[in-house]
Parts: sequence; C-alpha cells; structure tokens
Amino acid sequence: MLELTDLSVHYGTVAAVDSVSVTVAEGEIVAIIGPNGAGKTSTLRALSGLVRPSGGRVMFRGTDISRWRPHRIVALGLSHAPEGRRLFPQMTVLENLRMGAYRRRDRDAVARTLGEVLERFPRLAERRHQPAGTLSGGEQQMLTIGRALMSGPAMLILDEPSFGLAPLLVREIRAIVQSINRERGVAVLLVEQNARMALAVAGRAYVMETGRIVLSGSAAMLRESPHVKAAYLGG
Amino acid sequence: MSIDLLVQALLNGFGLAMVYVLVALGLTLIFSILEIINFAHGEFYMLGGYVTYYVFAVFGVNYFATLGFAILAVGLAGVVAERLIFRYLRGKTLNAFIVSLGLLWVMQASAQLSFGVLDKPVPSAFSGIVRAFGLVISVERLVVSLSAIVLIAALYLFLRWSRPGRAMRAVAQDADAAALQGVDIELVSALGFGIGCALAGGAGGLLAPVFAVSPAMGALPVVKAFIIIIIGGMGSLPGAVVGGLLLGSVEGLGSLFMGSAAVNVLGFLVVILVLLVRPRGLFGGA
Repeated sequence: MLELTDLSVHYGTVAAVDSVSVTVAEGEIVAIIGPNGAGKTSTLRALSGLVRPSGGRVMFRGTDISRWRPHRIVALGLSHAPEGRRLFPQMTVLENLRMGAYRRRDRDAVARTLGEVLERFPRLAERRHQPAGTLSGGEQQMLTIGRALMSGPAMLILDEPSFGLAPLLVREIRAIVQSINRERGVAVLLVEQNARMALAVAGRAYVMETGRIVLSGSAAMLRESPHVKAAYLGG
Repeated sequence: MSIDLLVQALLNGFGLAMVYVLVALGLTLIFSILEIINFAHGEFYMLGGYVTYYVFAVFGVNYFATLGFAILAVGLAGVVAERLIFRYLRGKTLNAFIVSLGLLWVMQASAQLSFGVLDKPVPSAFSGIVRAFGLVISVERLVVSLSAIVLIAALYLFLRWSRPGRAMRAVAQDADAAALQGVDIELVSALGFGIGCALAGGAGGLLAPVFAVSPAMGALPVVKAFIIIIIGGMGSLPGAVVGGLLLGSVEGLGSLFMGSAAVNVLGFLVVILVLLVRPRGLFGGA
C-alpha cells in the first residue's frame, strides 16, 4: 500500500533522512522506532508532502506521490496526525474535526464519520464546543487522531501519539490504534520513541538511527534483539 | 459642554476610523496567513483611489458600481502580487520587509509616471446632510462609514462561515496542520492576499471623494492602520476593530480641543499608553 524507496531528505547539506526504504501493506500496523533526532519525523513529513524529498520515491496505492503537495495526498487517503498534536487551538473540538474532512464534499458521509469518531472518543463528544486549546494533553491527542480519521483514510500516520502522556493514557491510545486498525482495516504507520508501546501494537517495525534504517523485522523478533533491548527497552 | 457635542465628536471620529479599520483588517489578514507585513499595503489603497477617480469622476459610472469594481480590480492586483512576489516570502519577515518596501517605491513611482504628481480631486458622490437626535452628519460621511461597516461584516461572515474562510483561519493558526487536513496553502495564500488588498482598494475608493487622489495618498491610512493594529494586537481581527473604535473615539474627542495636526499625534499617545499596560496590544496572544 505504501512503499518508500531510498527516500532522502536534506536540510541544506545535512541529510536528515538517508536512503530509507519502508513498506506498509494493506491492513498492517508498522512502527518506526528510534531516538530523538533520528529522522523519523522528517521521513513522515516527506511522505505526506510537507517537505520535498531530495531523493528516492514514495508510492501510495500504486501512485508516485513523491513530488505531490500535501492537500492532494490527503485526498488520496493518506492521513497524517503530526507530532506535537498541531490542533487549531482557537477552533472548537467540532470545528477541528470538521477541518479533518475538509476535502470531502459528501455531507452525509462526513456526518456519519463524525458520529463514529464521537462515539469512539466519548470525551471529545462531551467537550465538542470547547476550544481545542483548552483540552488536556490526552484529550488533545485523541482529537488529533479523531481529526485524522475524519478524512476517511485508507492509511493513518501517527507521529509520537504517546508523547507526554501518563502510562494509563498510553495504554488507552494503544487500544484505540488497535481498534481503528481491526475494525476499519486502516493501515497504520506509527512513529514512536516509546519502543515498548510501539512494539506491542505493531506487527513489524523498523529501527531508525541518524537518518538510516539500522534494523527491521517482526515486532516479536525486534523485542528479542540485543541491540533493541539494550538501547530501547531498558536492558 | 453638552452631551450632544460629545456624541457628535465621537460620530465624526468613528466615521473615518471604520475605513482605516478596513485597511488594518487587510494588513492583519495578510499577516496571519503569510506571517509577513506588507509595507506596500497603502499603495493598494492608492490603486483603489485611482480606479475610483477614473471610473467614477472621469467616466461617470455609478459610485457603488465603481466601488465594487475598485474592490475587484485591486483584489486581482493583490492576487497577481502574491503569485509573482509574496508567495516566495511566506514567514520570511525580514525579506518581506525589504521587498514590500521596494514594491512601495515602485508602485508610487509608477503612479507618478502614469497619473502625474498632482492631486486629482474626486467630486462627492452624495450631497446634503442628515439631522437626527440633534446630531448632524453629511450624507457622504454616512455612506462612507456604513459601506465600511458592511465590508467589515462581509469579511467576518466570510471567515466565519465559508469553506475558504475556514481554511484561512486554519492556515492562520497552523499552516502545516491545515495542509495535512487537505487545505491548498498556495490557493489560500493567494486568496487571502487578494482579499486583504481588495479591502485596501475599497477603503481607497471610499476615501477618494473625501480626500483627493495622489500617488502618496497611501501613507496616512497605513499609519492609522498600524496604530490600530498595535493597539488591538498584532494578528487579531477583533483587535483591529476594537483598536479602530478606540482610535476613532480618541481622535473625535481630541478634535474638540485641538487642531487636526495635533489630533494625528493622539493616536501615537494611545499606542504608548496601551503598550505600557499590555505590551502585546489589547487582543494580542502569547
């Protein structure tokens, strides 16, 4: 479904992402783990069109989207919930969700999706008329995921959904990601510093360090890898 | 001093202030979408003035039709300026400062070459005065203020309820996040810049019969607009309206006690006082 081939991103002369190849199949949950500054977020920004890749190719649903601008990529069914939530703080919860469906013209279908999202996130339904800037961290994260679902995506990109959340909330987010994947068949590409969480949800994972993929395989295999254990799972 | 006199003075002050609010709202809209200050904004106002001079005063077209045409024409000029110049300057405050200052000189010099340096008088479109509740206002001033208020209301409704209006608010709050929801940033940026300039063009058309039209006419309204923006808070649209009301009332009341040259200084005094209490302006965010 998604295929990155030798993707590179340069900021000036510095390579933030260096020939990275990643694939995500239909209905799969795939994780990219790695330390801060490894180039994970840059990889995601390149594949959703926020930065121009300096090399390589991004194929999504059989289309080469390497040079596309973001608004067209969303319309093709790839939805990106960015790092740091990036909500519209002065808009209400409902307005934020409606922004997520910006490219959809079918009002009835949007209303159906909105109903589903509010059902999945009862806390958001309670606070629907509140400005997004006044939500708690966990609620903001749920709104970010909810907003990304509003476009009716075939694939969801989640950048650090567990960042800054209490362990109980991390578990809740994990359950939500799993149920979205199971019930709606939405493929998920998950980027996390929380390797424990990521390897618990994902079927496969890539380990990214200083702009390169250094290790990849099934989550079960990576959980047993001495390198992953020592560097990411606390020994 | 009678209450009537005070109310009359306030009314006089508000009249022109509403037009300066239009200029301020355009600057604010452009600032929130492109994160730059367009120092050539007054030259789009000037363009609106010249369109009004030629279409209304020379060719004798209906005043409101002229106004609509000035708004459209200057809005279009804004879109062209955005596509040719300003789209490359998104978020580059310093570059935009230099480039827009350059554009200011180019547009003023071009106006001098094409239209001449002398003031061109535009006749009043409306004559007569209205009396009500012991107050007196000229029909012309009334039309100018009401038209400005209609344009402000139209902008509000557009931003609040229309699809492109929502997209503009989203881009103003977080451009990357807006792009990820499917908003075409380039389109919003061209449209936002165009609407900002259209408002300036409308303001130029409204004040053309009040003042004369000249290549340097943009300086005064832009200074007023900056005063309004600084009082209201950079980037805040409600702030621009409140800032305009405040400036209008101070200038109106001030005119009871001093000459017009001194009144022009009052605005700066208000800026200093507001910034002492609220350094980001009345509606300025964090």
